[in-house]
Amino acid sequence: MIVSPVILLLAGAAIGAAILGFVFQRAGGRALIGLALGAVAGGFGSALFMIPLDYCTFEAERESLDATFGFILVGAGIALVVTPVSWLAGKLLRGEGLVSSTGQPTQGTFKHWWIALPLLLPTLTILAVFLYYPSLETLRLSTMLSRLGARREVFICVDNFTRLAQDQEYWDIVGRTIYISFFIVVLSMGLSLLIATMAYLPIRGASIYRILLVWPYAMSPAVAGIIFLLMFNPSGGMFNYLSGNWFGFKLGWLNDPKVAPWTIIIASVWKSMGFNILFYIAGLQNVPKDLIEAGAIDGAGVVRRFWHIVWPLLSPTTFFLIVTNVTYAFFETYATIDYLTPGGGPLQSTTTMMYRVIQMGVYNNDMGKAAAQSIVLFMMVIGLTLVLFRTGGRQVTYGV
Amino acid sequence: MKKLVLVSIVLVMMLALAVPMSSTGAQDKIPIDVWISFQDYRLDWAQNVAAEFNAVYPQYEVNITGGYSYETMFAQVAVAAEQGQLPAVVHYFEAATQDARDSGLFKPIAEALDGRTEINGLPVDLDDYVDPVIAYYTLDGEFTSMPWNTSSAIMFSNMRYLNAAGWDAPPATWNEVDAACEAVMALDDAPEYCWTFPNHGWFFEQWLAQQDALYVNNGNGREDRATEVAFNSEAGVAILQWLSDQYDKGYLYYSGAQGGESWSTVDQAYSTQQVAMAVYSSSDTTLYTEMGEEGGFETIASFMPYNDETGWTGNLIGGATLWLVDGLDPEVEDGALTFLLYFTNTEYAADWHKVTGYIAIRHSSNELLEAEGYFAENPNQTVAADQLDQSTITPATSGALVGGFPSIRNEVTAAIDRVLLTDEDPAAVLDAAAEASNTIIEEYNLLNAP
Amino acid sequence: MTSASQESIRTQAVVARGSGRRPAWLPKRWYAHIILVLACFLSGIPLFYALLVSTQTNAEVFRYQFTPGSGLFDNWDVVFYERHLHTYMINSVIMTIGITVIKTIFSLLSGLAFVYFRFPGKWVVFAFVLITLMMPTEVLIIALFRFINDLEWQNTFLALIVPFTASATGTFLFRQHFASIPPELSEAAQLDGANPLQFLFRVLVPMSWNTIGALAVVQTIYAWNMYLWPNMIISDPDMQTIQTGIGTLRLGGGALRFGPLMLAAVIVSLPPVIVFILLQKQFMSGFTLTRDK
Repeated sequence: MIVSPVILLLAGAAIGAAILGFVFQRAGGRALIGLALGAVAGGFGSALFMIPLDYCTFEAERESLDATFGFILVGAGIALVVTPVSWLAGKLLRGEGLVSSTGQPTQGTFKHWWIALPLLLPTLTILAVFLYYPSLETLRLSTMLSRLGARREVFICVDNFTRLAQDQEYWDIVGRTIYISFFIVVLSMGLSLLIATMAYLPIRGASIYRILLVWPYAMSPAVAGIIFLLMFNPSGGMFNYLSGNWFGFKLGWLNDPKVAPWTIIIASVWKSMGFNILFYIAGLQNVPKDLIEAGAIDGAGVVRRFWHIVWPLLSPTTFFLIVTNVTYAFFETYATIDYLTPGGGPLQSTTTMMYRVIQMGVYNNDMGKAAAQSIVLFMMVIGLTLVLFRTGGRQVTYGV
Repeated sequence: MKKLVLVSIVLVMMLALAVPMSSTGAQDKIPIDVWISFQDYRLDWAQNVAAEFNAVYPQYEVNITGGYSYETMFAQVAVAAEQGQLPAVVHYFEAATQDARDSGLFKPIAEALDGRTEINGLPVDLDDYVDPVIAYYTLDGEFTSMPWNTSSAIMFSNMRYLNAAGWDAPPATWNEVDAACEAVMALDDAPEYCWTFPNHGWFFEQWLAQQDALYVNNGNGREDRATEVAFNSEAGVAILQWLSDQYDKGYLYYSGAQGGESWSTVDQAYSTQQVAMAVYSSSDTTLYTEMGEEGGFETIASFMPYNDETGWTGNLIGGATLWLVDGLDPEVEDGALTFLLYFTNTEYAADWHKVTGYIAIRHSSNELLEAEGYFAENPNQTVAADQLDQSTITPATSGALVGGFPSIRNEVTAAIDRVLLTDEDPAAVLDAAAEASNTIIEEYNLLNAP
Repeated sequence: MTSASQESIRTQAVVARGSGRRPAWLPKRWYAHIILVLACFLSGIPLFYALLVSTQTNAEVFRYQFTPGSGLFDNWDVVFYERHLHTYMINSVIMTIGITVIKTIFSLLSGLAFVYFRFPGKWVVFAFVLITLMMPTEVLIIALFRFINDLEWQNTFLALIVPFTASATGTFLFRQHFASIPPELSEAAQLDGANPLQFLFRVLVPMSWNTIGALAVVQTIYAWNMYLWPNMIISDPDMQTIQTGIGTLRLGGGALRFGPLMLAAVIVSLPPVIVFILLQKQFMSGFTLTRDK
């Protein structure tokens, strides 16, 4: 062992104690209780991931990268335990009830509180069995070498992760996922906003336009892939035929590594724009008319008026759409990719992180690595959500 | 309340439906479930034979279920094994051979036959199967799985282009392909590209075997368990180098790495005469010949072109065999054996060959087809069998046995993809693929070696 | 928005912009018409071409014929006789109805529990449900795959339906809706001696058809379009759902037969597109909280 578990435990306890002591002092509680509570929470946190791993990352024969991972895990464990504890403690000390945070009316409740249990049971059971349990199982699998149908499973500590960290190919896939997702989200939302603004104008046939614009949302990502396969097929696709005849160029829509991601992006934008247009039109309908009117009378230019008055008011819609579009780009594009470029495209150029997870886990039958990649993906989704909520979510003008 | 009742009825109905359909089988008959990896006309063919079998042997009920592809069948069997829901017979491709052996799920055919010369009145004559097939599937001296669809890699040529370019016969070597391509591409009505092949690691294996080079160590995994790949040799690099040159010259049409489910992009390029030649599996000889007839050109099948510098030692077999699951009830096992013998009898083996282009795996079938005059009328159909017949059997041409083969294949496929589409050095790319493959083997052996 | 307010905007806008700069032959806001027509055209083209090809033979497809072809009946035969699209459709219908109905019921029940009961540890339960919003099924799919196999649910409707029958979205949707219903109703119901379930089905449900409809539309489209999970867990061809089942049309050797593939794609898309167009408003309100799982 490079670092003894006891030292880690003590370090965790010290950090927890410091944080909670501070919280208690500021909130006017008794600092000593804070220190004690913090020490327990911090110590527990430092061991949260390490006890299941049996402190394997700090074994002497392991590389420094493993130890680094170990420290990150210890830190993450402490954060995971201490943060909610201090948040709760702060709330309690300030005298805020916990139940009120769920915003319930207190009138009209039924007498026998235990009846709530059977009512909640189906939902809670399903969530526990089919979401929480697989989450834990994913964590466990990520430390394993595991194949379906194999004689045994082998525990390999955090090797699946350290290998990923050193795997250039995987970083390329991460970059590609971000590239593809970025353009899907930006193009789809930008075009949708433009079109929605036009469709919102009081013009003839607005309702017909709306129907003609929004239906692609109901198409499935798989069908989007199939239809674009027909159009962009390099030998015999309509698009190359027309572009060849009219403009004298043909592109390897599916077999050129530079172009193939764009085929995925175009198909996904096509499919997801209907949804965005629908929500932007709805968002525009919530913009108070007198604001626009005021801007018009002031003589503000169309673009400036839009930018200064309408855009900020659309921010709740935009924020909601970013979240849904990012998840779409991360996960739902799987089917489109699978039909357009089965196998993940030339030079893996259409292989997203999700696609890779399935390739690894199902086709290569390498469950451990697939689980580790799932966790990386999970962290990215959570990280992105948090960043969005902190930056976008706070500035959002709520007034709808 | 009415709605609630209605909803509960719907729920109950759904739960009833959720019970797997397969549980409702025939009562008195002995059920024999067979899983095969096809879901197209080949599945239909197999199901027709099964129906005839069920009529001839009323005591059995053979039920054939199709799967998507070889690769997915592999995963499906692993899952079924964990659940103890294996059928009686599983259709595995050649790359799964080592995994199938290690799984301990299957019983060698020879062991199940136990020296019997007939089962349910069907004669057992293992010597009637052609040699390359016997060589591949005889493991540790024992006839292990029942051959059914056996193919090899061959080339189909659009003679309209080749004749115009002054070639009476398809090119036989890499240099000849190059020369033919130069002539074809100089034609006034030249095709868009000269030739193509589906980028699937199997073709690399074929070109490697032609040069008598090993794919994995320990005698291609046949002397001892393979522990490392050997394909990043000079011979292997030569293949990548050649493909890369052909691509850079604009001769080779590359339609993308193939996921393994379908090689339709290549079919499409050949049938629309976008290319003059296609290196392909002999499994689709019938189809490719027909494509030519429909498109108004003559298709000639020929041996897979080989490297001039190293000469031709032989080609590998491809395709898949039928594995008998271990631990069946004796009556089910006998039924399964009966079906396997019936399924591959002289007439069906011959018919199967005609329908698809997989080689006729029995000597007697070949004699039958010869006598019918079928081969004389359809010269393309004998090419794959001839290619295998003329092959010298060495460890290299017997084919590799290695765990995790499908994943290794993917590495090779990706390497070819990389060499064609980037300027990277073929040797370096192949070395990287070898390194990744070695990890796969190491991990596979760690988990699966007895 | 009411038509009256639309009308007032139109007049205001006209007043504000003034007129006279626009030649008489140009419609009002001609630029908007151009952009919209272009957008409709571009989004319509792929489907329109797919419709065309669904009537064509492969030869006609490769000739780039832009009129209806002669292969519709053959394509129909391929889709429904050679392949079994109807089997996949039935499977998808069962799966979709199963997920939608059960999820709606479970969500109603848990919404009821959250709004009309006070019980110890309520916030813990609430957090337990809330956190699942951050757990997309896709990132757990490898473990879920193994788990479902351990349950021996492979190739059953159980695997397709049960894991998706609970959702935080549904729960919160009903919780929000119930919270907006005056508590006097519940007090009155209790005075009448109604038990919680009677209250739910006699009072709340009749008042919630809009919300139920909203959730149902979202779920129907979601379930119908599901691809990754059925693709993983179903290997029996007779149990395939529609989105993965179309893939079987790619198999069969030879060049891809585009006609049948497009015919199937169009047929498959019709139910959700119709549901979506008819129930747009419900769909929108159903999507208020977050993407659903």
